[in-house]
Amino acid sequence: MAVRPAQFRRALLQTPSRLRQQNTIQHSHPELQHLLSAASSPARLFSSTVTARALNTPDYAVPNPSRPTHFGFQTVTEAEKIERVATVFTSVAESYDRMNDLMSFGWHRIWKDHFVSSLNPGFSPLASGLDPRAPQHILDIAGGTGDIAFRMLHTAHIVNANPDVRVTISDINPAMLTVGKQRSTLLPASQQAALSFVEANAEDLTRTTPLSSPGTANPPTSAIPSASVDLYTVAFGIRNFSNIPAALREAYRVLKPGGVFACLEFSKADAHPLFNTLYKEWSFRAIPLIGQLVAGDRDSYQYLVESIEKFPSQADFRDMIIDAGFVVGGQGYEDLTGGVAAIHKGMKPRA
Amino acid sequence: MPSPPVASRSAGAAAAAARRILHPSPLRPATRWATIKAATTTRTLTTSRHHLPASLSATTPTRTSSRPYHSYSHPPPPGPFTPIESLLLAAAYRHVPTHGFSPKALARGARDAGYLDISATIVPDGVFSLVQWHLVTQREALAARSAALSGDGQKGGGVASRVEALTWERLLGNAEVVGQWQEALAIMAQPSYVPASVKELAMLVDEIWFLAGDVAVDPTWYTKRASLSAIYAAAELFMTNDRSPGFHDTRDFLRRRLEEASEIGNLARSVREWLSFTTSASTNVLRSKGVQI
Ligand SMILES: C[S@@+](CC[C@H](N)C(=O)[O-])C[C@H]1O[C@@H](n2cnc3c(N)ncnc32)[C@H](O)[C@@H]1O
Repeated sequence: MAVRPAQFRRALLQTPSRLRQQNTIQHSHPELQHLLSAASSPARLFSSTVTARALNTPDYAVPNPSRPTHFGFQTVTEAEKIERVATVFTSVAESYDRMNDLMSFGWHRIWKDHFVSSLNPGFSPLASGLDPRAPQHILDIAGGTGDIAFRMLHTAHIVNANPDVRVTISDINPAMLTVGKQRSTLLPASQQAALSFVEANAEDLTRTTPLSSPGTANPPTSAIPSASVDLYTVAFGIRNFSNIPAALREAYRVLKPGGVFACLEFSKADAHPLFNTLYKEWSFRAIPLIGQLVAGDRDSYQYLVESIEKFPSQADFRDMIIDAGFVVGGQGYEDLTGGVAAIHKGMKPRA
Repeated sequence: MPSPPVASRSAGAAAAAARRILHPSPLRPATRWATIKAATTTRTLTTSRHHLPASLSATTPTRTSSRPYHSYSHPPPPGPFTPIESLLLAAAYRHVPTHGFSPKALARGARDAGYLDISATIVPDGVFSLVQWHLVTQREALAARSAALSGDGQKGGGVASRVEALTWERLLGNAEVVGQWQEALAIMAQPSYVPASVKELAMLVDEIWFLAGDVAVDPTWYTKRASLSAIYAAAELFMTNDRSPGFHDTRDFLRRRLEEASEIGNLARSVREWLSFTTSASTNVLRSKGVQI
C-alpha cells in the first residue's frame, strides 16, 4: 500500500487540513479506487450515513470503507479492519476474561469498578419516596460480554436503589454479545428485564438489530434515536473501531444535552519511563506468547497489543472528543495505574 | 519538595514538618512585587516550583513564570476550572448550605443549569472540586473586600491589624457553609487531595499578606506565611464549633493567636491542634460512611 503508517496515525489524529490532503491521496490511488467499488459486503455496515450526517461533519469523520486505517501495526482499509477485528473477537470471545487479566495484570476489574462508581449511574438528587426519580438510559457500546453493563445495573438498581435505569448493550460482534447474554442469566430478574442486547457498528447507530436467536431471518433494523441517551460508555472497545471520529459523532448524536460520553481504554504510561519500558516488554514479548499457549491464538493477542500501542495519547484523544463537540472538565481525562489505562469523559452541551 | 530551609532546623520537629507542609508561594516576594508593579497580566496556577527567600535557600531560584494575579486593572481569571465546570460548580454551590459538599448538591446544580443528573460526573474531582470552588472564589473575592476595608478608613492600622482584618473577612466567607465545613475539611484531608488543599491555603495566606501591604523581603517572610497558615487553619476549625453571635468567639480566638504568634512554640501548637482536629473530623466522616476505623 502506498500510504505509510505514520500518515495514518496523523490521519487518526486529524488536523482537518492534513486530512483533506490525505483524502485526495486516497481517492486518486487506483488500487483504492478499485477497492472502493469492490467493497460490497462491508458497504452494508457503512450504510448511507454520508447523507444522514450533518453537513458540517468533516470528511475524516464519515466512515469510508476504502480509507486506510491501522490494524495493529498493519495498514488496512476501514472495511478490512471491521472484518479482521470481528475475527479477533470471535476467536477470543471464550478466553476473553483471561485475556483481560493478562493484559492488565488483573487490574481491569478495579478499573471497571472505578469507572462505574465515578459515573454513579442511577444517582438522583431527589428524595426517594417523594419525587419520581429521573429514568436513565445507558448505552454500553462495544459492551461485549457485559462487564460494564452489569456493574452499571448493580450500582443503579442496588446501590442507588433506582430501578428506573435501563441499559442497552451494543456490540458489532454477535459472538461477544451471545457470551454476554449467557452471563446475564445469572442476574436478578429485575436487572435482566432492564437489559437489552443489540448488534450495531458504533460508527453508525442508525442501523441496529436486536440480538437474534440463531435462525431468525431478517431481524428488523432500527435507529438509536438522537438525544435519547443519558450515558454512553465504551470500555476497551474504541481502539478497535475503524473510524473513531465517526463513532464520537454518533455518540454525540444519540446523547441528550447534558449526556455524558465516558471511555475506559488502555493508554500511554510514558510519564514513568522505567515502568513504561517494563510494561512494553511484557506486552510485546509475553502477551502474544501467552496467547499462543493459553488460547492457541498468537495473532489475535499480537493485534491487541499493537492496537494499544497505536491508540492516541491521552491528550490527543481528549482533543478528538472536543473536536466532536463535547465539553470537558479539568484536563478531560484521568490516568489509571500510571496511565496504563485512562478514563476520558465529555459532556454534550446544550445547543 | 525541596529540603527544609536551614533556619528551621533549630525549631522543633513539628514546626519543621509544618513548614514543609505549609510551603508558601512559589514566587519570591521581591520578584513578585516587581512583576505586580510592572502590571504584567499573565497568570499561571500550575507553577509548582518552590522558591524561598535568598537568605533561606541554598540555591538561587530561577523564575519560571509570573503569577501576578493581584492586578487591579484586570478582572480575576476564572481559576483552575473549565467553563463548563465553572457553570456546574457555581450552580451546585447554591445547594451547599442545605446539602453540603455532596454529590446531591452537584446533581441538583446540574438540574438547575438545565442539565441531567449524570452531567456533573464530568467534574474531575467531584465533591473536592466543589470544595475548591469555595476556596478559590472566596480567595478571589478578598481583594474587593480589602478595597472596601481601606475605604472604611482602616488603612492606617499597620500591616498587623490589616492582616487580622483580612483573615477575619476570609473567615466570614465560610459563614454560610459553616455547618458543612467539617465535612469539607475531611474531604480536603483525603490523601490525594492534600497537596492541592495545602497549595490553596498557601495561596490564600500569600494573598492576605500581599493585600495587607507586606513587602518585607527578609527571613521572616517565610515564618510569617507559615504562622498565618497555621493560625488561619486553626481559626477555621474553631469557627465550625462556634455558636456565639456573629462568631465573636472566633474573632477573639483569631486575635489571641495572632498576638501569640511571635513565639515559635505557639506555631507548633497551632499546627498540632489543627492536625488532630482534622484527623478526628475525617475519622468521624469516614465512620459515618460505614468505614471501620
Ligand atoms: C475488548 S472488548 C471490550 C468488551 C467490554 N466492553 C469490556 O470492557 O470487557 C472490545 C469489543 O469491541 C467490539 N467492537 C469492535 N469494533 C466495534 C465497532 N466498530 N462497533 C461496535 N463494537 C465494536 C468488539 O466486538 C469487542 O466485543
